[in-house]
Amino acid sequence: MSPRVRKAAAIAGLVGLTALVSGCSAMYPPNPVTDQGKDIWSLYNLFFVIAAVIFVGVEGVIVWSILRYRRRGDQLPRQTHGNNVLEVVWTAIPTALVLGLFVISFGIQGRVDAKVPDPPVTVDVTGFQWQWTFEYKDHGLSYTGLGDQGPVMWLPVGETVHIRLHSNNVIHSFYVPAFLFKRDVIPGQVNNFDLKIDQAGTYNGQCAQLCGMDHYQMVFSVKAVPPAEFQAWLQAEEIKARATPTPAASGAAGTTLQLGASNTQSFDKSALDAAANQPFSVQLTNSTPSAPHNFAIKDATGKVLFTGLPLAQPNQSVTYSVPALPAGTYTFFCSVHPNMTGTLTVK
Amino acid sequence: MATTVLAPGATRVRQRSAVYDWLTTTDHKKIGILYTGNSFIFFLLAGLLALAIRSELAQPGLQFLNPSEYNQMFTMHGTTMVFLVLMPFLAGIANYVVPLQVGAADMAFPRINALSFWMLPLGGILLFSGFFLGGAAAEGWTSYSPLAGVKYSPGVGTDLWIVSLVLIGTSSILGSINFLTTIFKLRAPGMTLLRMPIFVWTVVVTSLLIMLATPVFTSGVVLLFIDRNYGGNFFDPATGGNPILWQNLFWFFGHPEVYILILPAMGVISEILPVFSRKPLFGYKAFIFATALIGTLGFSVWAHHMFTTGAVFNPFFSFMTFLIAVPTGIKFFNWLATMHRGQLSFATPMLFALGFLSIFLIGGLDGAVLASPPADYALHDTYWIVAHIHFVFFGGTMFGVFAALYYWFPKMFGARLNEGLGRIHFVLMFMGTILTFFPMHMLGLDGMPRRIVDYSPNAGWSDLNLLATIGGFIIGISVLPFMWNVFITLRGPRDAGDDPWDGNTLEWATTSPPPPYNFDHLPPIRSERPLFDLKHGSIHDLDGVAVPAVASGEGAH
Repeated sequence: MSPRVRKAAAIAGLVGLTALVSGCSAMYPPNPVTDQGKDIWSLYNLFFVIAAVIFVGVEGVIVWSILRYRRRGDQLPRQTHGNNVLEVVWTAIPTALVLGLFVISFGIQGRVDAKVPDPPVTVDVTGFQWQWTFEYKDHGLSYTGLGDQGPVMWLPVGETVHIRLHSNNVIHSFYVPAFLFKRDVIPGQVNNFDLKIDQAGTYNGQCAQLCGMDHYQMVFSVKAVPPAEFQAWLQAEEIKARATPTPAASGAAGTTLQLGASNTQSFDKSALDAAANQPFSVQLTNSTPSAPHNFAIKDATGKVLFTGLPLAQPNQSVTYSVPALPAGTYTFFCSVHPNMTGTLTVK
Repeated sequence: MATTVLAPGATRVRQRSAVYDWLTTTDHKKIGILYTGNSFIFFLLAGLLALAIRSELAQPGLQFLNPSEYNQMFTMHGTTMVFLVLMPFLAGIANYVVPLQVGAADMAFPRINALSFWMLPLGGILLFSGFFLGGAAAEGWTSYSPLAGVKYSPGVGTDLWIVSLVLIGTSSILGSINFLTTIFKLRAPGMTLLRMPIFVWTVVVTSLLIMLATPVFTSGVVLLFIDRNYGGNFFDPATGGNPILWQNLFWFFGHPEVYILILPAMGVISEILPVFSRKPLFGYKAFIFATALIGTLGFSVWAHHMFTTGAVFNPFFSFMTFLIAVPTGIKFFNWLATMHRGQLSFATPMLFALGFLSIFLIGGLDGAVLASPPADYALHDTYWIVAHIHFVFFGGTMFGVFAALYYWFPKMFGARLNEGLGRIHFVLMFMGTILTFFPMHMLGLDGMPRRIVDYSPNAGWSDLNLLATIGGFIIGISVLPFMWNVFITLRGPRDAGDDPWDGNTLEWATTSPPPPYNFDHLPPIRSERPLFDLKHGSIHDLDGVAVPAVASGEGAH
């Protein structure tokens, strides 16, 4: 090799190594902020190191074979059909490897799925099309996301938290990347898990299981704060909740518009009128035998301004209190069946 | 005057008879070519859907598609690629190659063979007609219930999806019975089971998988149809059904389906590597054993798709999934050992075979981590899964399909595809595949869920998504030199000869293309490489025997 070739090879090697190292660091999940997440992170790390070694080894052999054994003449190479010793060895080694990995993974699954008998905080999560409701039932608190504005789940740092997942519609999945964890939210069964956050901060989460049209908007966040701050927040929220009755129970504010739905194709009205800058109510009567409905509003750009909750179940009537809207033309629709739309004229 | 009146009429009759011939043919070779052409058309359609998906995701915000259209795009892309591209591509190649490789004159049931094929374009048209009838299916190719129920997906697109999959499923069940009968009953004298080409062995195992798994899936979609249209209440808990039942039925088929799609591609690679290394496949029997083991274990791993449901016993399915990595590992060692100390040449089929090895390896490694339930809790339903499935199905199966097309094209049409254009196709597709799908690992680790039409500009996912989109368009462009290549090659001279690659198996012992009855006479079959024995003498099968007289054998083709 001439010095120039050697220098070029050295530079190429250095660049390759740098790319490999930077590539490797991008090949890791975010820093875990829960005890359970730390276990999963270490497990991933083990897999990644083994996979990286195998990858480099196998790709190396492929490249070596291409360079070393390219055809150089017409002579037939030695016709080797196999080698029993070699084949037993390369069956035994991977078998031992995967059995070892299974045992380690099994142990970590036990720790990740473990539950404490009497967790200090329990949050009930309900997924619906297409947002979340977080409930602290011991404290009578409930938070529901609207449109692309997800609810915030306040949790204490350093304490075990119990999460229960509910759905009465389709399947969702509760996923927080910084926890390295998700669990499906399945109608007909209540999944639950424990987690212990050990780092204060705000962590984004979102639905990971396709749940229909606006699946991508099912975002939320978890705000982890020190226990004292969490208790102070709980007390303040309880006082606030007692002072203002929940919107669903508030009854009609302003004029009440009547709207009905008897199928999953369209409402019984294609147009509604409301007064500008005044709250009003919509009484939705759902006479569809099999499907829930609700009343939601979006503006001309498609931004959802209001999502009526709870959903009106079959043969149920629900009154939604809609906040004041500026004058303009809006579209009202059903979140469950986005094909059900109409024009809302506010003037 | 009379002649000018007669001539056009005569021509018209001739032309109609050629079309009529293709429409009514029961020749396995023509049906194989029909399968392949049909799959390629749907490959282009599914590719356009993929480019629509990648265009939408290139930057945050809704640019081209609304959420409802986007959900239709990825649902149709996945369904089309799995059921109308990968499966029929492999079935088409097997249709052409298997009877030739076992020395048969045709498939065992030629008319059923034609029926199996014609169900596919019909199913495809039904599937795509959803776009013109108020919206195609939009629940993902997995069509999870209750989302796929009539309550949440009232459109007719989902019903069309079901009907088309019943057709396609029936087509593959009939095809698998046909393959098994052909292979077990119509082999040439001398071809014992352990002298069958390895590709035929992978078709045996694949056909068994199809026969056992597809009826479960077909029953599942019929239940879904009853649920949607006649109030069956199978899958929606609101009416007493169970959504996990759908997932069990779907994945009981869905995971063997992964092996249905990869085993024949592995078979193709195991035909090509020995020919272009001029050595036999290392560990032929071990390879058959590994294939059969994958087929058997493949039925006990399905619920690893359901680790996050909390409704299955994770350790069992985790254990079986870890175990199934072993036979795949054996195959890799066999392939590497086949090349070791060989005489490697790099025609386009070999390039795609090497591409398969390099890329499928990544799909094996990034899938192994998913065998661990806790790791799956982090990675499930994120872009990691999208990366994994594409490294396996695109880097694996599609590269295997293109390797097969370049390899058997001279047999099908009597002309070799142009090597220069083939190399351009390979390089673009290789780069495009890495560029599109590798960044998806990082997106998945960072928490980007699959099947979302939009993401926040603050999420930090924009650059990697743009990279993946650029890669996607490179893959799209790479198909153009391939199409041009096929076009000019078919216009050129058909001078490839019977055995252009110095092949080992029986299909190279007949003319290119073969006559309707396939063989005038067959060479004696004393090993899994009858043609090699014919050219070089079976003495060379013995290890370590010197080979002085080989050069003269070279002149045979």
